[in-house]
Formats: sequence, structure tokens, C-alpha cells
Amino acid sequence: MSELNSVHPDAAKLEGMQHTKQYDFRLPEDYYYRSGKGLSKEVVEKISYMKNEPEWMLKFRLRALEIAEKKGRPKWGPDLSGLNFDDIYFYVKPSERQGTVDSWDEIPEAVRKTYERLGVPEAERRILAGVGAQFESEMVYHKLKEEWERLGVIFLDTDTALKEHPDLFKEYFATVVPPEDNYFAAINSAVWSGGSFVYVPEGVEVPVPLQAYFLLNAQNIGQFERTLIIGAPGSKFHYIEGCTAPAYTTHSFHSGVIEIICQEGSNVRYSTIQNWSHNVYNLVTQRAIVHKDASMGWLDGNLGSKVTMKYPSCYLVEEGAHGEVLSIAFATDGQHQDAGSKMIHAAPHTTSSVVSKSISKGTGRASYRGLVQIHEGAEYARSNVECDALLLDEQARTDTYPYIEINEKTAHVGHEATVSKLDEEQIFYLMTRGLKEDEAMALIVRGFLDPVAKELPLEYAVELNRLIELEMEGSVG
Amino acid sequence: MAELTDNPAVAVGAVDQLVAARGEPAWLADERRAALRTFEATPWPGPRDELWRYTQLERFSVAGLDLVPGPQTDEVSERIERRIRDSDAEGVLVVKNGRPVKREARIKEAGVIFTDLATALREHEDLVRQHLYTAVNAPMTKYTALNSALWTGGTFVYVPKDVEVELPLGTFTTADRGGLGAGRTLIVVDVNAKATFIDEFTSDPLPGRLFHSHATEIVLKDGAKLRYVSLQNWSREVAHVHKQRAFVGRDARLESLTVSLGGDAARVEIESELGGPGAESEMLGLYFADEGQHFNQYTVQHHSAPRAFSDVLFKGAVRDASTAVYSGIIVVDPGAQKTDAYQTNRNLLLDRESEAVSIPQLEIAANDVKCSHGSTTGPVPDDQRFYLMSRGLRPEVAEHVLVTGFLHEVMSRVTLPKVAEYVERVVQAKLGVPGVKEKL
Repeated sequence: MSELNSVHPDAAKLEGMQHTKQYDFRLPEDYYYRSGKGLSKEVVEKISYMKNEPEWMLKFRLRALEIAEKKGRPKWGPDLSGLNFDDIYFYVKPSERQGTVDSWDEIPEAVRKTYERLGVPEAERRILAGVGAQFESEMVYHKLKEEWERLGVIFLDTDTALKEHPDLFKEYFATVVPPEDNYFAAINSAVWSGGSFVYVPEGVEVPVPLQAYFLLNAQNIGQFERTLIIGAPGSKFHYIEGCTAPAYTTHSFHSGVIEIICQEGSNVRYSTIQNWSHNVYNLVTQRAIVHKDASMGWLDGNLGSKVTMKYPSCYLVEEGAHGEVLSIAFATDGQHQDAGSKMIHAAPHTTSSVVSKSISKGTGRASYRGLVQIHEGAEYARSNVECDALLLDEQARTDTYPYIEINEKTAHVGHEATVSKLDEEQIFYLMTRGLKEDEAMALIVRGFLDPVAKELPLEYAVELNRLIELEMEGSVG
Repeated sequence: MAELTDNPAVAVGAVDQLVAARGEPAWLADERRAALRTFEATPWPGPRDELWRYTQLERFSVAGLDLVPGPQTDEVSERIERRIRDSDAEGVLVVKNGRPVKREARIKEAGVIFTDLATALREHEDLVRQHLYTAVNAPMTKYTALNSALWTGGTFVYVPKDVEVELPLGTFTTADRGGLGAGRTLIVVDVNAKATFIDEFTSDPLPGRLFHSHATEIVLKDGAKLRYVSLQNWSREVAHVHKQRAFVGRDARLESLTVSLGGDAARVEIESELGGPGAESEMLGLYFADEGQHFNQYTVQHHSAPRAFSDVLFKGAVRDASTAVYSGIIVVDPGAQKTDAYQTNRNLLLDRESEAVSIPQLEIAANDVKCSHGSTTGPVPDDQRFYLMSRGLRPEVAEHVLVTGFLHEVMSRVTLPKVAEYVERVVQAKLGVPGVKEKL
């Protein structure tokens, strides 16, 4: 343990996260229902039947499956040849009691153990109200602080929301990311299960972040969460999601869809740091529609997985809408982080800003892929994108693929990217002050990430720092 | 978007005819036939091809065009004669619809070869054979395969070891009829030699549509230096597809400038391979699209050797429902340490209906490098316009001054005053500055 942690008040609870090896464990698979491997009409029908869904949802799923079959996989981007659907379970339901537990003690023993091993701190529950814990494909534990219920905030797992708030659900579901949007969104639409549903009513400000912590277990299962977040006019809140998966040898597949609607004057932030084990294909669609004078902020951290393709986007559809993406990617041996952002300016006086920081280590490859689009008539739109890449090793690789399409004369758009390596002089200086070489490197890396890391909630910032230290340990000689 | 379709005139029969008519050696005939096979086996680019996204493909169609058999007359137009008089070239070649119609050379330096490719094949076959198709060859794209199979007019430049050619050499590629034509420029600068070459594409209004494909191959041996200018100012009936590729050897330096002003649509691909340690490539670009023109330019800075330097600066303006696309990539191979590579694209949008697309990309596989890129797009700044107007300039004059000033950053880095002056005049004519167009 470094000095940082021995003086940190949370040091004890961070002990559990000391070595990445600790994530390499699995618990006996004792599942209530598991679909057969592979994706077919029968699997989709069975999922819908098991969930006792309304007819329209079944139809939606089947239509999405057809769309996926027609579309086929994308022809661009990272290598997905190792991803074989015939080896994947598209639905696993761990327990019938989903959505009904109100206390930590009621969560099944096996699930609690998984959390403890991962070091999800129980203490956090007291601060972060409503820990939405997702085990495999469904929420098994979900709690929302009573005062928020009083405010009219809805924070449920998506399946329960469909049952309890059918009208609200139907009004917004798949309006931001229709199944036609892309292949993986279509797959998700066909087999989705779990995820969070958030509705914050007009004018309500939620002072403490809403947080869902979920993870994958069970060999070869897919996780297809579907999150739908609605910020009513003038609302303000922060939603946090993190996920950690135990490592397995065969490839796993995660393909979520996150839809956010920011109504007039609302202010919504969505933060996520993914640390999937290094065998997971993480192919996620995250998109927000931002209305008049509303503001949407994505914080996107990509540390784990084998391949990630994730481009959080903001569709700025009404005057004065603002979109922001802060992105961190850390690619180590064998990883390809293909992350980025999309900013669509479709209305006057819309603004957007993207800051991306990536680090490539060993044979890791970090790519920034982005789109800024200014539609005709989006007068005085402004967008600025900054991408910085840090390369730690000779075999490391970084790419930048920004697409900038401008159709409006009064728009101002800028993009800048830099690539650099660790500065030997800086390392030398820190070593003359008594730091070991790997500590010096870790410090510089943390400094590089700082502009984004300082936007993170405390416990995430601490976790990020720990992960960087772990990655940098022994990286010299 | 319309799909591109074949042209039955592009067939092996046409290649055989061409080889026979020109009396070309067997090795070249084989190269041409191989290129044609590649052409036939390669699909036309479609809207889903990443490299051709944003390209208005139908404007680069070859369907329905006849292979150009030659010009209507060998006469050199008054416009070109004036351009020749205005230049300070040591050597000038005029190639009209594929046929060399004029050659003037007052080259003082010994051993320099400057001639059309057909003559070079007869007089310096080994030298041509050694270098032809080494920088731009058939497998690259549908269009370079087409060019490799069917090029007719062309220029060959060879500068021997340690020789420095003081004044520019240049070729005017022109036409007086439409059809499908292909030309090629091959420039070889030997060890520690130095030269300047200007490839200019220009024509008076043509009676029919011309599709001109051009390939420029540049081979710079160790320590060689070349300034290369490609100046495209075709009349509006022309679709221009140009691939420039340079191999830059150890401590060699290429300074290139690519100007797109004329034609209906132009697609220009400019690639430098920094193939030796200490190689340098400066790639400048300037474009001004008006009256619905479509310019599409793609740069590649390929660092395959360590300690090399490359710098791209492309600036352009668009107006009158025109589109300009800049995309470019810096590729740093594993092991190309101490690479220093930069890429900048700036666009000025002058009206609502126009569009600018910018895709500056990086693919870096070495860690000890300095690479950056930047892109900006915006209007003529209101405060600058306001300032000029407060000094008594009319609004349109203020705009002329600001657009010219914006583009001047590129021209100020070009050490060829005659070229800079001409480009500035064409830009002014496009802006509608009175009294300029007549003098072009």
C-alpha cells in the first residue's frame, strides 16, 4: 500500500481492492432461469414470457430482432471477430424476488458475497441513497431514500418500471435510441433486461447522486441493460453507474442502451466508469436528447473490457441546449478502448464541449472516435473538442478519428488533439525528490488525468487513483 | 446517392490499342494489363466506404465518356502562352488531351532530364522502368488502377546526384475536348539533388465533360529536396481525380502545395511516406470552392522511419452551396520513434448553403513521438469585419480582404512568388474583386 492509502480515511475499505487478481473469482452458478445459448426468435419470446410483459413490448423486441438481422455488424471500428453469439446466454434471471427487497440483509447470500469481494462498501449506501444493485441481468436490490419518494422521484429497475409506470414508460422508451439506430442497439432492444429507470419531476433537485452498481457473473452470459432517464423541466440530478465483472476465460458480451431525456431547463449528469474483466466485449449506446436551455453532461471512464465501443452523445435539439462529455480511457495489454462522443447541434445557440484523455500501456490501444455535426440553421452554435493521448510503452497505440461536419455559416467549431509520452525529465525530477520510478510515473499519469478526475465523485476518484497505481506497479524494468 | 457504373470503353482492348499505338515495351504493357485486371476486380467506391464518405461520388463518374484520342488541335491557347510568359520556368511542357504539344527547356544544369513520358521511355527506358509505378501503382484504388492502365500524357523529371536545378520546371496539363483522360507525372530526385516542379491543370471552357485522372509519383533519394506544386484550375466541365504519392528518403525534404480552385469536382489524395530517418515533408493545401463546386482532399503522413518530420496545413473557403471535405491521417508505424508530426485544417464558411467537413485523424503506434492536430471551422469574424468597415471599407471589400488574408497564411509559406501571385488573383476573381477575372 502506498502512503496515500495509509493516511486516507477509507484506507481499510480500499484494502479489498488492492490487487486486480481479487476480481478473478466466481461463485457457484445457481440460477433461477437461464436461456439457451445463442440468439433467436424463441429466445426473445421466452424472455418476454418470463417477464410477463405487455404485448407491445414483445412486438417491439421481435421487430428489433428483425432489424438486427437485416443490419448486420458494423463494418468499421475495432475487431469484433472474437464475439460469437452462439456461445452467449442472452438471458439469465437469478432470483424471483427481484425488486422486492428493502434491506441489504435480504439480498441473497451469494450476491452479497460477490459485492463484498469486490469491495462495494456498505458504508456507501448511507451516503449514496438507493444503491441499485444488479446481479446478472436483473435488479435484485433497489432502494430509494424515502424523502426522494416524497419528492416524486422514481428510481426503479427498468422491468419494474414497465409494470408500475406503463404510460410514462411507453411515452419515452426507445424514443432516444430506436432499434434502427445501430446493430447493437437493435440487439439490446430485442433482449434487454434490467437497467435503471429514473424520473425526476419538474423543478426537483436531487442533492445526492442516484447510483446503480451492477456486475456480471456466470460464464458466457450477456448483459443487456436498458436505462431510461427522464429529467422533467427544471430538474437537476446526477446518476452514477459503475460495473465490475469477474474475469473468465471465454468472451462475454455487454451491450447496454442508455436513453436520457433532458427537458427544458433541466440539468442532468450521467457518470460511469466501466471496469469489466478483460474478456468482455462492451458495446454500448449512450444518448441524450437535450431540450431548450437544458444541460447534459456525460462522464465516461473506460478501464476494463477487451474491446469497448462507446460514444456518449448529445442531440441538442432546442435553442440554448448544452452538451458535455468528459472521457477517460486506459488501455493495457490486449485491450482496445474505442471511445468518443457525438455532438449533434440541431438548434441555434447550442454549445458543446468534449475533453478526452487516454492512456495506452503495454500493447493497449486507445482510440478517440467522435462526431460534431452542425446543422444548417443552428446559428451561433459552438463546439470545442480536445483529445490528449499519453503513450507509456513502445508497443502502445493511440488513434484519433474526429468527424466534423459543418453546415452553418455562423458556427464556430474547434478540435485539437495531442499525443505525447511520459516526460523523462519530469520522472527524473520526481525521483530526485525521493519517489521510486513507478510512483513517479503513476503521479504523472494521475496529473494527466486530473482535469477529468476532479469532476468525479470522491469514491470514484479514489478508485481511479487506486487502479492507476495498480496498473503502474512494477511497470518499470 | 447514385451508384458509380462501369464504362465499356475501359477494357483490355483499349490497353492493347494504346500499347501498340505508342510502341511501348513489353514490361509496360504487362504493367498496364495487370492494372486493368485490378481495376476490373475492384468495386467502385460506394457511400459506405469510409475513405469515400462525404464524397459526392456521382460527380466522379466515368460512365458514358469516350477515351480521349487526343486534342482537336495542337495549338496552345493564349491563356497558357500568357501563363508561360509570366512564369520564370527553366523548362515548360504542355500536354493537351494526353498529347505533348509544346516543350521549351533552357536547363543549364547538366544531366537533368525533363521530357514527356513517352519520349523518356524511348530515351531513358531503364531509369523510367526503375521508378515508374513505385510510388503510385495499381492496387491502391479503383481510380489509381484506372490511371495505371490507361495514362497517356505525362512528364518525366530526373535530377542527377548533387545537381541543383535553380528555376522551376513545370507542365501544363490542358484540354480542348471532353472525355476520359489520364496523365502521370514521375519525378525522381537523386541523392543530394534539388529541384522545383509545378503541375498545373487548366483549360478554357470545354465543349463536353472531361474526367481527368492524374497520378504523381515522387521519389526523393537520400538528401534530395523537392518543391512540388499542384495547381488545379480547370474549367467547370472537369472532374479531377489526382493521387500524389511521395517516397521521402533519409534526410530528404519535400515541400508540397496542393491548390484546388477549378473544375466541377476534385478529389486529391496527397501522401508522403517518410521512409528514411530525418526525412521531412511539408504539405500545404489551399482551396476555394464556389458555385456548387465539390472539393475533397485526403492527406496521409506515413512515418515508417524514425526521426522524421511532417507538417500539414490545409486552409480553404467555401461559398455558393459548395462543399469542401478535408480528411487526413498521420500514421506512425511501430518503431518510428522521435516522430514529429502535425496536421492543421482551417475552414471558412462564407454562406448558409455551403458545407465543410473536417476529419483529421491520428494512428500512432510508437510512444516517443510528438503529434498533434487541430481543426477549426467558422465564419469571417464579425469583429474583424467591423473593424475594417470602421476604417471605411465597404462590407464586400472587407470580406475580400479577410478571406484573402485567411488564405495568405498558406501562400506565405510558399517560396514561389509567381505561383503565390497567380493563386491570389484566381481567389480574388472568385471573390468578385472587380477587374481581376479579365486579366487571368
